[in-house]
Amino acid sequence: MNTKEFDVIIIGGGITGAGTQRDCAMRGLRTLLIERSDIATGATGRNHGLLHSGARYAVNDPESAAECIRENKILRQIAAQCIEPTDGLFITLPEDDPDYQKVFVEACRRAGIDAEVIDPALARRLEPSVNPALTGAVRVPDGSVDPFRLCAANMLDAKLHGGQVRLQTEVTGFIREGDTVRGVHTRNIRTGQEEDFYAPVTVNACGIWGQHIARLAGVEIGMFPSKGALLIFAHRINNMVINRCRKPSNADILVPGDTVCVIGTTSTRIPFEECDRVAVTPGEVDLLITEGAKLSPALFSTRILRAYAGVRPLVSADDDPSGRNISRGIVCLDHESRDGLRGFITITGGKLMTYRLMAEMATDTVCHKLGVDKSCSTAVTPLPGLEEPASEKGALICECENVTAGKVAHAIDHLEVSTLTDLRRRTRVGMGTCQGGLCACRAADRLAQANACAERERNDLADFMQERWKGNFPIGWGDMLREAEYTQWVYKHVLGL
Amino acid sequence: MRFDSVIIGGGLAGLTAGISLQEEGRSTAIVSTGQNALHFFSGCFESLQEPPQRMQDLFAGAGVRLHYREGVRLMPLGTFRPAALALADIDLVPVPHFADKVLIVGFAGFQDFFPAFLADGLAREGMQCRTVQLELPELERLRLSPSEMRSVQIARTLDRIWGKVIREVKHLLREEDAVVLPQVFGLQDPSVPEYIRQGLPVRVVFTGTLPPSVPGIRTQLLLKRRYEALGGTYLAGDEVVTAHIHGDVVHGIATRNLDSHCLEAGHFLLASGSYFSKGLKSTPFDIAEPVFGLDVVHADDRNAWYDTDFFADQPYMQFGVKTDTALHPLRDGQPLTNLYAIGSVLGATRPEFGFGAGLAVRSAFAAVDQILESL
Repeated sequence: MNTKEFDVIIIGGGITGAGTQRDCAMRGLRTLLIERSDIATGATGRNHGLLHSGARYAVNDPESAAECIRENKILRQIAAQCIEPTDGLFITLPEDDPDYQKVFVEACRRAGIDAEVIDPALARRLEPSVNPALTGAVRVPDGSVDPFRLCAANMLDAKLHGGQVRLQTEVTGFIREGDTVRGVHTRNIRTGQEEDFYAPVTVNACGIWGQHIARLAGVEIGMFPSKGALLIFAHRINNMVINRCRKPSNADILVPGDTVCVIGTTSTRIPFEECDRVAVTPGEVDLLITEGAKLSPALFSTRILRAYAGVRPLVSADDDPSGRNISRGIVCLDHESRDGLRGFITITGGKLMTYRLMAEMATDTVCHKLGVDKSCSTAVTPLPGLEEPASEKGALICECENVTAGKVAHAIDHLEVSTLTDLRRRTRVGMGTCQGGLCACRAADRLAQANACAERERNDLADFMQERWKGNFPIGWGDMLREAEYTQWVYKHVLGL
Repeated sequence: MRFDSVIIGGGLAGLTAGISLQEEGRSTAIVSTGQNALHFFSGCFESLQEPPQRMQDLFAGAGVRLHYREGVRLMPLGTFRPAALALADIDLVPVPHFADKVLIVGFAGFQDFFPAFLADGLAREGMQCRTVQLELPELERLRLSPSEMRSVQIARTLDRIWGKVIREVKHLLREEDAVVLPQVFGLQDPSVPEYIRQGLPVRVVFTGTLPPSVPGIRTQLLLKRRYEALGGTYLAGDEVVTAHIHGDVVHGIATRNLDSHCLEAGHFLLASGSYFSKGLKSTPFDIAEPVFGLDVVHADDRNAWYDTDFFADQPYMQFGVKTDTALHPLRDGQPLTNLYAIGSVLGATRPEFGFGAGLAVRSAFAAVDQILESL
């Protein structure tokens, strides 16, 4: 089937786009999702992986807090395979305002969040890694979520409902008839092949890059890129999410996930041009460790695996070009009523964990435009489980993350892998302590065989090592530097890349 | 315990110094943590453009055969690099086009050898390639265990059945005039690569694998064996915990395993390597030499430690202990007069000695000469 006509085209393969495609597909629409790179490459894959209870926003942004706790409860039902219900602590330290806890707990209750004040001694028992100096603790229903699995599960379900996906495909322009968007021009990044697709409605779900896409369509959205830096530690220090019980600030959330934990974040306004190449500075690293160690002193002595940063897609209100009143809430723009451009919607803002609600809002708008009267069922329909390939007997490709040759072969054959980075997102190859030192070239040889193109793969391997280094040098000391020295020597002098 | 000289570090620099001193009748001890850069040695001696006779002799005495020929060698990812001095089983060819038709032989389940990249690199030089994977039942036991199918384990098995490898490869040959095999031969017995060459009717090119490096570990074993045969004391798996320094003289060092016994000597050689071997230690704020607290040439600002390009020369690799012209390291600006820093603990602070293997060997000889002259 190679149709070029759809009911709705969704641009952006992050969680918002994937969720919107699923919702549209479940309401019976013929959908096409277009992504210029790979799934979950933007802010979706570059955050804490925190399943907010909403408590963080309770005091300052009650609306977001209420959204969070509603979606928190829904995701526990529909996406249990992607979620770890760890619960979270909001701790008060001696230097924090002791009266804030009371304000915080009341705000949580107003928003519908279970917030239970517990004795500091009990908090230390529940979470032995917590700063023992704490003077107060509140327990809330935080958790952790695997954003990649969540995104992949949405996309899989959309496919099961007939949706089509084009990865590595860039939207180069819009097909317009007067004041109506009729479709998109696209180009395959790899092959250069150009193709047009048609639909009465197109949804812009590109996160921070939505500004660019909107401009291609001829409308302006004022986005304010905000960089958030995070550090991944090589061990899982904590079992519960640890937050500071104070006004939200830098580096005050420590989230456990799988075998690691993540501290973040910072918040820095960056120029739009930097969105494609955000990097973490040593200053940010120092700040994250110093502040993070106040949540859990063990961070000081734990090896850091990687530094990374994402860009929040914040949108300024239409009447606020200065960006002073930037909202972290969901923004769904119908460009017909806003700009007089028909057949085009932008869905942005929001958070990883409110993606389903964002998708619902976008899909409601799409259905309204198409005259489809079908209500949303994503809140009550569980996502499909992601099948785990049977692990073939045989050698490990990646020792750190226990990835077998069979798993790599499965990913290459069935999961639309064209680069090592795609493979990393699907199998965790290269994400462990060696940061690709050994496994990257093993996996690259597999890809070179599968794609019968060693030259391209050699470049891909170089890009992959460059990308790993980008997250390693900001934390380059101690064991990380030892590992880096080894890897750089081996690639240069032993392997001859 | 007292020796003429005590050497900290049992890699290429430490063993070269140890063997040279023992050959001159000096009593020495080597303290080795166990890990050193020979474990990922490519088999080619970096930055040694001409073969020093002294080095050839020293290695020959240990049973490590070298050969010298200016040319290129085939790298594991299919590229060619200039090379001159190498272990005898590492092929140096005058030009990349070393054959017309090449058979690349891997071992089923062995992931650390890259036939797809090799075939591409050879094809680019106009050679026709065919790739086969040998399935040897003798390797089946390793194949069943996901983490054991690695170069050293394979070499241990193949050292016993190399005759069978010859028969199998002969069987596979059609019109090829060369065979590319992974460097998984001759871990214990350094003659095995030569037996394979003799046994096959075509040119055999042994090509590198991911570490651990079989030729590197073999070299380490042979050098260590030679050192001990000359009467050297090799303390494996031990590390220095404290150094006793009076004024500008090192009197002794204490190690973890020897407990309260102090290793005393007239001369000390610091061959402890760089970061990987923990000869240099880095924190977010500093780079230090942990045994003697020596001065380290480095940038204060951590931003200046790295190049953001993974493949560029990295500034942190240039850092090393500060020395005077006689290779005596400085401590608080003053040289320690009976201590010598050799090998990669010097970083790139002494470019006249080269880098990598060249730096290890040249600086070891330079220090040894001074020690021999001073008595």
